[in-house]
Amino acid sequence: MRRFLRHPVVDTAIKALGRNRLQTALTMLGIAVGVATVLAMMAVGAGAQRSIEQQVRAAGLNQITIRAGNWRPKITDSDEAVAHQGDARESLRHPLDRLPDVLPIAFHPEDDPMEKHDHPTARQRLGDLEAGLGSAATMTFDDAEALRQLPGVQYVAGGIHENVRVHLDHPSTGSAQGKRWFTRMHGTDVMMPSIKRAWAFAGGRFFTEREQDRAAQVVVLGQVVADKLFGPGASPVGREVVVWNQPFEVIGVITSATWVVQPAPGDDQFDAVYMPYTTTQRLLNLSKLNDITVTAESSGDISRLSREITRLLRVRHGIGDNEPDDFTLITQATKALTTGGLPPSVARAVASNVAELEKVTLEQLALTMERASRTMTWLLAAVAAVSLLVGGIGIMNITLLSVTERTREIGLRMAVGARGKDVMRQFLFEAVVISAAGGLAGIVVGVIASIGIARTLQWSTVVSPLSVVLAFGIATAVGIFFGWYPARRASKLDPIVALRRD
Amino acid sequence: MIAVHDLAKQYHVGDHVVHALKGVTMAVAAAEFLTIVGPSGSGKSTFMHILGCLDRPTTGRYVLNGRDVSTLPPDELARVRNETIGFVFQGFNLLARTSAVENVELPLLYTRQGVVKAADRRDRAMQALAAVGLTDRADHHPNQLSGGQQQRVAIARALVTQPSLLLADEPTGNLDTATSHEVMEIFARLRSDRGITIVVITHERDIAAYGTRTADFRDGMVVQDRPNAARSAAPVV
Repeated sequence: MRRFLRHPVVDTAIKALGRNRLQTALTMLGIAVGVATVLAMMAVGAGAQRSIEQQVRAAGLNQITIRAGNWRPKITDSDEAVAHQGDARESLRHPLDRLPDVLPIAFHPEDDPMEKHDHPTARQRLGDLEAGLGSAATMTFDDAEALRQLPGVQYVAGGIHENVRVHLDHPSTGSAQGKRWFTRMHGTDVMMPSIKRAWAFAGGRFFTEREQDRAAQVVVLGQVVADKLFGPGASPVGREVVVWNQPFEVIGVITSATWVVQPAPGDDQFDAVYMPYTTTQRLLNLSKLNDITVTAESSGDISRLSREITRLLRVRHGIGDNEPDDFTLITQATKALTTGGLPPSVARAVASNVAELEKVTLEQLALTMERASRTMTWLLAAVAAVSLLVGGIGIMNITLLSVTERTREIGLRMAVGARGKDVMRQFLFEAVVISAAGGLAGIVVGVIASIGIARTLQWSTVVSPLSVVLAFGIATAVGIFFGWYPARRASKLDPIVALRRD
Repeated sequence: MIAVHDLAKQYHVGDHVVHALKGVTMAVAAAEFLTIVGPSGSGKSTFMHILGCLDRPTTGRYVLNGRDVSTLPPDELARVRNETIGFVFQGFNLLARTSAVENVELPLLYTRQGVVKAADRRDRAMQALAAVGLTDRADHHPNQLSGGQQQRVAIARALVTQPSLLLADEPTGNLDTATSHEVMEIFARLRSDRGITIVVITHERDIAAYGTRTADFRDGMVVQDRPNAARSAAPVV
């Protein structure tokens, strides 16, 4: 650094800039404003990008759910619809659980009513309720462990799901209110809050590894359940509810963290209660899992991961080449399509024929959200362009002033051997020093501004090292661009004329 | 050392043409001390600019050290100025806010080999300052030096690249009589001690008398060119 400062070009530049300190400082200010705006612009842009990615994850687009059992729609469609479906009908394996006309095709021995079981079959457990997808008991905790080893897998959680009545008070005490709510019960893994990015805790916490190991009787309520049982705004944490005639301690309440998903009665996430799957297995005397939820590290990786999971589970379950799967893979993309208001026949055709469907859905979501931040980005880009232009003109102005003031010096340097390019380099360097110094100041201001925007506007901003480098590069480029003309003028001076100038 | 043949220079000022030099033919031997006298507008400054490779003649030839420099491109002329010519000006032309030694270093920033290393630069600049007797003023800035001292710094700057030709355009124009003679003594000594060829333009007859030879310019031509008896006898090493 010391050596650099003592280099004659640098030394001369510093002395020269010292001559017009105020003008130099004002010019730097102009560049600083421009660079700060550029940086803030990129920070807002990157922030929007990141929040889109977060919302996408929150919406579960990087999730794959593997349900036990395989279901194929019974074909009762009109001939016309059948004609439209074409080959899709045979290859389609997506859940269309709204359709009443489904029938199981792959039985597991455990689901054979004639077979002896170590636990009740789905139909026996649910009584008069229709046995749904996932009731086939083909998946085990070991399957979940095996999936955890796959590359590209982020989290894995096994789950057991039941419909339950949650009572506010123990029925046997027969006490006053006797409030109850019919809802979904998810016996699940401690990993679940990591998978469900859209969750926020309205109170309390999720169950711990220890509670899972002990199969503790603790329960986390969805917002809807908490509201129905305890009334809106009440804090149920620490209270007791009853499921299957067993007392459970309420340890937390979960609600939605994103506007993409809102808690509503009847939904699967917030009109639900959660407990350790070990507790469910113990109380219901079960050894199998209904489903396994897997999240991918990258949401673009879903298609590949789906194929890997299918291959692995087929091997683990010893399924022959020509036999159908005894499980069903569901991704958010296919779910969105099959529940998205499309005619089922069309949805089925699309789902089975469009490869890498999730990318399409992702893109659509990202596009919508990008529009919100684009206006802000363009506004900042316009301000940045104008202030860099004005700053650049300032640099040209002060460099021209410097050339005029130092005409004699230029003449002298030429007389003692400086060539045109030596003179040009000197003045270009001085212009770049101003713009680079302004750029550094601008980076500091820009970082502060980005934090300010994040704080005051609640707008997510990200200042990446790349954007800092880029902003500095832009500042330097402005210096070179606007310093070029004055520097060239200086280099073209006639030494005799320059030496005669006062 | 210097051979000019039928040197002419014309300027266009608006519509009319000014004939600054109208065919000058002259030879200056190595280690000669030529003084040029003449009224304003006689073409002596134009002649000096061409000799100093700051300007090119319109017609005619200029051979410096056996090389025809009258048609060299600007960058080549800059090299010639840097390596073989030293300039001394009437107004000193020292850089303000820059110490004497740094002023002397200036030509070393533009050598054929690029910027001379800092330590080397300082050594050579100090040697040049020693030649004009200003070692003790090396760190002074021009505004802390007298006129005579400033001109001596300028001479040191002209000497630092060890040129074979020293050109001075009215070097004593801004100095009092005593200092003027001190400066001229330095020139005379550089010629006799180092064999440097020196060309000095002056108005004053007593200053011109320092030369071994004096040329008289009038209207762009040399009207008189004669050796100076008193000086030409001085020994040349």
